[in-house]
Amino acid sequence: MQESVNRTHQLKTSNLSKDFGDVEVLRNISFSFDAGSSVAITGPSGSGKSTLLHIIGTIEEPTKGRIEINGTDPFQLSEPELARYRNSVIGFVFQDHHLLPQYSVLENVLIPTLAFKQKHDVTTMAHDLLKRVGLTHRISHRPAELSGGERQRVAIARALINRPSILLCDEPTGNLDSTTAGNIADLLFEMHRVENNILIVVTHNLELASRFQNNLRLADGVCSVATKNKNPTVG
Amino acid sequence: MRAFWRTAKHYWRIHLIVALCTAIATGVLSGALIVGDSMRGSLRSITLERLGSIQYGVIADHFFQPEIVTRQNMVQAIMLNGTVVAAETDSRASKVNIYGVNNAFFDFWDVKVVPDLTKLTNQPFAEIIINEALQKELNVKVGDAVLLNLPQATEIHSEFLLGTRDTNDVIQRLRVIVNDIIPTANAGRFSIQPHQSLPLNVYISLPILQKAIGQTDKVNALFTADTEPLSSNTLELTIEGLGLNIVSNENHFDLQSQQYLIEPTLSEIALKVTSENNIPILPTFTYLANSISHVDSPQEESTRKLVQVPYSTILALPFESGEFSELITRSTTEVEKHLYLQVQQQEIKRRESREGEEFKKIGQELQRISNEKADRQYVESRKTNTPEFRKKKAEMDNALAEVNRKLKGFSSTNTQHLPIVLNKWTADDLGVKVGDKIKITYFSVNAEEEYITEAAYFILKAVVPIEGIAADTDLIPSFPGIHDTTNLSDWDPPFPFEYSKVRSKDETYWDEYKSTPKAFITLDMGKRLWKNRFGDLTSLRMGAAPGMDIDATQSLFETEFLKRIEPEQIGFQFLSLQEEGLKASTGSTDFGMLFSSLSIFIILAAATLVSAIFAIGATQRSREIGILQAVGFKLAQIRRRFLFEGILIATIGSLFGCLLAMGYAQLMIYGLKTWWLPAIGTPFINLHISGWSVLIGILVTLFVVTFFIRQVVKRLGKAPTAALLAGETDFDEVSRKPKSESANSSINRTTNLILGFVFGMLAGYYLISEGWFGFLFVLIFNAIVIASVFLIYRSKFGSFLTDRLGPSVFSHQSNTDNRFKIVWWVLTLGLGIGTALGFFGTILIFSMDGSHIYETIEGVVQHPIFRLLGSALGILGTGWLIFDRWLGSQRVPKRLNHIRFGLKNAAWQPMNSQSSVIIMSFACCIIVAVGINRHDAMPETEYAFVAESSLPIHHSLNTPDGRLELGFDEEGSQLLAKSEIYSFRVLPGEDVSCLNLYKPEKPQILGAPNSMLYDDPWHYLQQDFKQERRIHAIGDAKSLQWILHHDPKVDFPIQDEFGNTISLRLETVENSIFQSQIIISETDFKTYYPSQSGYQYFLIKTPPELQADTQHTLEKALEEYGLDVTSASERLASFRAVENTYISTFQSLGGLGVLLGTFGLAMVLFRNIIERRRELATLRAYGFRRKLLFNMLFLESGFLLAVGMLIGIVAGIVAILGSQGHLPPFPWLSLSITLLLIFGFGIIANSIAVVVALRSPLLSTLKSE
Repeated sequence: MQESVNRTHQLKTSNLSKDFGDVEVLRNISFSFDAGSSVAITGPSGSGKSTLLHIIGTIEEPTKGRIEINGTDPFQLSEPELARYRNSVIGFVFQDHHLLPQYSVLENVLIPTLAFKQKHDVTTMAHDLLKRVGLTHRISHRPAELSGGERQRVAIARALINRPSILLCDEPTGNLDSTTAGNIADLLFEMHRVENNILIVVTHNLELASRFQNNLRLADGVCSVATKNKNPTVG
Repeated sequence: MRAFWRTAKHYWRIHLIVALCTAIATGVLSGALIVGDSMRGSLRSITLERLGSIQYGVIADHFFQPEIVTRQNMVQAIMLNGTVVAAETDSRASKVNIYGVNNAFFDFWDVKVVPDLTKLTNQPFAEIIINEALQKELNVKVGDAVLLNLPQATEIHSEFLLGTRDTNDVIQRLRVIVNDIIPTANAGRFSIQPHQSLPLNVYISLPILQKAIGQTDKVNALFTADTEPLSSNTLELTIEGLGLNIVSNENHFDLQSQQYLIEPTLSEIALKVTSENNIPILPTFTYLANSISHVDSPQEESTRKLVQVPYSTILALPFESGEFSELITRSTTEVEKHLYLQVQQQEIKRRESREGEEFKKIGQELQRISNEKADRQYVESRKTNTPEFRKKKAEMDNALAEVNRKLKGFSSTNTQHLPIVLNKWTADDLGVKVGDKIKITYFSVNAEEEYITEAAYFILKAVVPIEGIAADTDLIPSFPGIHDTTNLSDWDPPFPFEYSKVRSKDETYWDEYKSTPKAFITLDMGKRLWKNRFGDLTSLRMGAAPGMDIDATQSLFETEFLKRIEPEQIGFQFLSLQEEGLKASTGSTDFGMLFSSLSIFIILAAATLVSAIFAIGATQRSREIGILQAVGFKLAQIRRRFLFEGILIATIGSLFGCLLAMGYAQLMIYGLKTWWLPAIGTPFINLHISGWSVLIGILVTLFVVTFFIRQVVKRLGKAPTAALLAGETDFDEVSRKPKSESANSSINRTTNLILGFVFGMLAGYYLISEGWFGFLFVLIFNAIVIASVFLIYRSKFGSFLTDRLGPSVFSHQSNTDNRFKIVWWVLTLGLGIGTALGFFGTILIFSMDGSHIYETIEGVVQHPIFRLLGSALGILGTGWLIFDRWLGSQRVPKRLNHIRFGLKNAAWQPMNSQSSVIIMSFACCIIVAVGINRHDAMPETEYAFVAESSLPIHHSLNTPDGRLELGFDEEGSQLLAKSEIYSFRVLPGEDVSCLNLYKPEKPQILGAPNSMLYDDPWHYLQQDFKQERRIHAIGDAKSLQWILHHDPKVDFPIQDEFGNTISLRLETVENSIFQSQIIISETDFKTYYPSQSGYQYFLIKTPPELQADTQHTLEKALEEYGLDVTSASERLASFRAVENTYISTFQSLGGLGVLLGTFGLAMVLFRNIIERRRELATLRAYGFRRKLLFNMLFLESGFLLAVGMLIGIVAGIVAILGSQGHLPPFPWLSLSITLLLIFGFGIIANSIAVVVALRSPLLSTLKSE
């Protein structure tokens, strides 16, 4: 088992709200998580799970409220600053992996490193990550030649290549069978443990959700949090 | 149908673009075909206009009595070529058609205002009508005086001893007044030569012209509007009509020619008729001797002043039998007979032993020639057969010919060639007796048309009294300028005449005996000395046939003689002018096909666009397809529905395209009349539309567009229904499973096998054709290729190939060991087997001697088109293959960077990327291959000028005497002496260059002078086939290929002057100034066209500093001949201008097509981006800025554009190298501009596509999940 990295991150939201016209999807959501936290966001369809995840991932702006990651409100940044911020702080794993089909496994993993100039040897890191996700023998293969589980593992490696503070996963096991889903979940937790980041996963899978320290349940735009070990600050 | 309209309404933007593209394709294709219709229609209109209602015509190379044509309603005419000079302004027009006609001629045209040649304007000069084209050239008005320079008709050929060659004798000058100027339309455009250019025409009253040229009541052309064809049956030949005379006498009749010598064809027929009908005949040949003298010995000849009888008629006739034989017998004693035989024997011995002064001189000359032949330089140069060798050989051949010419007068040991008989007056004058040696001198005309004095030696066999046949002047045809004179000193012969030699006793003889022959030689010897291309007999005397009186015999002879003569043999031609003109108006170049080919890119680009747009539409409707599948529609039903939609929209577009076709054709016609005018020379073309062209345009476009739509439709529904419902498309190609290992292996194996086969075939072919050296060359070449492949496999740069091949051949692992295995596999299995098959197969085929396969394969391999296509497709294929391999490569990068990342994006839709590269490379290959042939620079030739005269010139421009005769002053003559002038004989015919849009049938023939035949490639013309009527000729490759549409390997048939077919074995020259003609040697020309006299085409080499003066001097001095001197470079440039115009047209239309194509590619790119929105959104989610995405996509599209263009450019250059063996001067400017424009437009179109596609928010794509 690999040693975990000592890191200090904090994700803090206060009174986050999001409207789509007349429809209020999120209402005054406030929470705070520190490095090493794992959070499952659950709730019925249309409850705003993905919207919340996208706001955290800075893909979408909140209508009201504020979000701070490591003390910075990303929505106050300029477009290039936001891009750099997203590149270095956020890691995404999508339900439909979104691997680029024309690139090999290794290239897909390396893609986020291309957005900005990197100081360290990213290729070695990519090899290391792929070793950790168990895909060393597949580095030259293309996504079309991989199984669903393998693809999602590549997506996880890609999300972690820039060692983000927050790893956001949108239904990462939604398209997988239960065994593979279990393996992917194990991998996620293992990587989370090692990277000591904040892991936020949107899922319908209650069994999976039960493995997280924090369970953030959304219903009618309001969230309630259940915590196993550490108690996050909830408002 | 209702569903269709609803769909059409919903997706109207897409459908509108599809319909528009189809309309463009239809418009361009139908429009191009309409251009062809218009060209043919316009040429046809010109034909109908220039001929009016003239259907048939009889033309002849001589003047004849029009009555010999038995048909009614024939309109008489004289057609001549000449020059016209405006009296006041001195402006000159050459190559003017001068028509001597009556007013009836103008009735062939149904016009309101009929020209009138008999309109009297109260002035003393003859009147003419000219057409506007000539008026513009001369800048004259009605009432102005002009000078016509016409060829003077002569009975005796100018190049015969008695023919006249002086300017004053061969040119008739006529001062006339312009009484009317008619439009260059209808009668004003009349010409029997099909050409689209405007003719320069003069019409003059027929009787006036007949009188001016001394051909009263004779014509050289007859025309009719009757629809019944004219043939040789309609000609009733007469003895007079043939230019012959029969002088009847009590016991005989004499057949003689008005041309002095009886044409060989006619004399042959006459001899045959007399032989078949047992008519006794006495053929004779009368010549004129400069002197007759008695020579005892050569020493005596040089030391003693000899008595010479000047200017005497000599009659050559058979000595063996008949009246003359009897006369000899009667006049000779037995002693004289014995003495003659004795002297004859001695002379034969002397000649056999080659003794004597005359033989000594010849011997020295022969020795000189043989020494030259033994010369080391000569022997050395002979080994290489260089032009220098050929020049020297030609000089020696000429020297030998000169020796032989001299020998013919005294070298023969034939007893028939020795005797001469003198009449008593001459023998007495010379004081000779039987057995004495007699020398005669006479003029002959050499190749340069100069008079040269020759001599012949005889032994006096008898002296006969001036009585009977020896006093018969009926046997002597009229000598022009001699016959009718009262005194000998009044003679005005065309040859040099020394009056001082004429003695008073000669005048007495002339007074008493006129042209009675003074000497007689045998007919054999006469022919030996004086035979020439115009004939070898001057008179045929015929007696009564057994059982018939002389009148009956004459009647029989005339009937049989005339019956056997084919009018074509004596220069008559029966022309179906209307029919042949309309046939020729189909054109030498099919402009419909030409413009269709030139527009092919526009059509393909439009079709590509249709395909791209239709695919975008289908992409947009992926969910619709998914839903239809989900509710139970069969895939085939869905595809049919889409196909139906596509065809319906395309049909609507096509119908609209018909209107566009008219506009496009009008635009092209406007282009041909303005920007591309050099392609057609004259802006004569007007719009002519054929329904077929429109229909073909619609059908072909629909077929092509349907094919493209079908390709798109075939891919519909391939994605799973769920994926389609989720918004995925059927065009996500990378998600397809990679080819199976076995499939990949099979492709590799096949590729290598084909490669090996080609290598082997080449090796085998070169072994056969080039020997071991060629074989070795191919082996080395193969080795280099294989080594390159090996190095590529080994290199870091090329390891992607192994990554591609590795999994397919061995395992998923790719390592160095595998690469070695793969290389080994490629080398051994693929290339090995292929090479062996190809090599032995080729050897086997090629070793079949006499097999057509050998020639066929060789012909195919050597054919420029094969080499062009082979080279181009080889490079294109290799380029596409490498690119395909690169797209499929899975090499693990040591380091990923933006460039590699951007470039690799091209692999997202490999089919689209590959299509983009294929289209661009194909287009650029053609543009480069075509563009390379564009000649931007002024062409260079070794000649400074090409000169053409309207009237034939009979004197040499290379000799001072010739120039003097032609009227050059001393200064001009000296200036011309610094130039080298090659004079060509000309047989009038049709222009076979690209400047003539009509389809030529009878090309103009040039007779190249012997003086240039030692040089390349002219020496080819000297080779003799030893086969009757088969001769060598040279033609321009492009004229043969594109205008005459003739394979140079097949003999080209032409007609000689006597109506016989001659086969021309053609050698081709490239880009020559001889694109308008076919060239044969002057010797062959004179053999087959003996009646064509003089020179009308000249090539001139002049030092650059003297060119302006030389041109001026030549044109000024030979103004009456209508000599036009033009720069040879400009002449060549005028041919190239046509090529360049075609190339410009192609580049303009091709460029337009490529631009449309790049627009299509931009649409494909746009579609790609739309389809890749989620992918791009992911990148945005990972922090990629919009600018970075733009750069990546821009790099990707630019990369595809650049790769495509690069492959195309290389392929284009290699294609030209392959087909021509060398690269023509590279037109950097025009080609670079074209390519840069294409690249620039491609980049701009792609940038716009990228900007537009990236403008909408991408991240929302992720959110929408």
